[in-house]
Amino acid sequence: MDQNATEQVAEKIIPLDERPIEIKIIIPTQAYFLSGIRDFVVNLTKNLTGFSMQWAFRFQAVVDELCNNAIEHGSKSGAVVGVTLISTKGKSLEVIVEDTGTGNVTINAEGLTKLYKEKRENVGVQYLGFRGRGLPKIVGEWTDELIFEDIPGGGIRVRAKKYLRKEDDRVSSPLVSNPIHLTV
Amino acid sequence: MTPVQITIEDVAGVANGKIVKLIRVVGQLDESNVDDEAKAIYQLIESVPGGLSLIFDFMGLEYMNSKSIGYLTDWYSKVSALGGKVAIAGARDNILDILQVVGLTQLVNAYPTLDEAKAAVL
Repeated sequence: MDQNATEQVAEKIIPLDERPIEIKIIIPTQAYFLSGIRDFVVNLTKNLTGFSMQWAFRFQAVVDELCNNAIEHGSKSGAVVGVTLISTKGKSLEVIVEDTGTGNVTINAEGLTKLYKEKRENVGVQYLGFRGRGLPKIVGEWTDELIFEDIPGGGIRVRAKKYLRKEDDRVSSPLVSNPIHLTV
Repeated sequence: MTPVQITIEDVAGVANGKIVKLIRVVGQLDESNVDDEAKAIYQLIESVPGGLSLIFDFMGLEYMNSKSIGYLTDWYSKVSALGGKVAIAGARDNILDILQVVGLTQLVNAYPTLDEAKAAVL
């Protein structure tokens, strides 16, 4: 079945208010813009996803940390970072952050996956280091799926997805931790 | 830069040669502002040779990122090494949540009110 036919079938089967909402934002590599992204993520999560306010704040932090990493390491000054939010109401919320691969760190998806796994093991609860909490602790603990992909032509795409489960509400971190399904 | 206001003041009623400073943070601490804002707190720590304790009043703090938490951890390490204490007062649920997920509440005690934080530090 081709793409158009698939979309036509989906339009008949999936009611309008149950279809995923996808929003893509392109931001310059300046941290100044992230407060606006954070506000947007909280409002989107609160109003359109079915997630609790607690998870709205958590997802805000996940998006902020991924964008910070892309700005600091993945895209050079003057380049851009892509942020895509996909909300399937009552089911899941996903963020995809893409850099251009022109930043100060040269690493591919496989290398980033390895680094992430090492940090997950080494950053304990009484970690005294200055950096290194964002990806392994905040993103890792508060998402169900985390996938690093190489972008053809350069750059890294990070997909972080959280499924809506009522039993996750009001559970204190880090006990909320669920298996992270990590693939490249 | 994202708006944030940090003020530092003395805590009254301190005895036995202790120096206790109240650091009040209002706004958001993020990548755009934390490096600049952290300088004043490092200057404070370096200006007191020993016996300094810090209470962070987070009642007005709306957001903090992982780098801000890294600074907080570093201040805790420096103050603790010189015999002082560090406490957090009045943090909102989302702030406590992020401090908890990174493990900082295992190192720095957080209290619901400023009075409770003062009682623990004085």
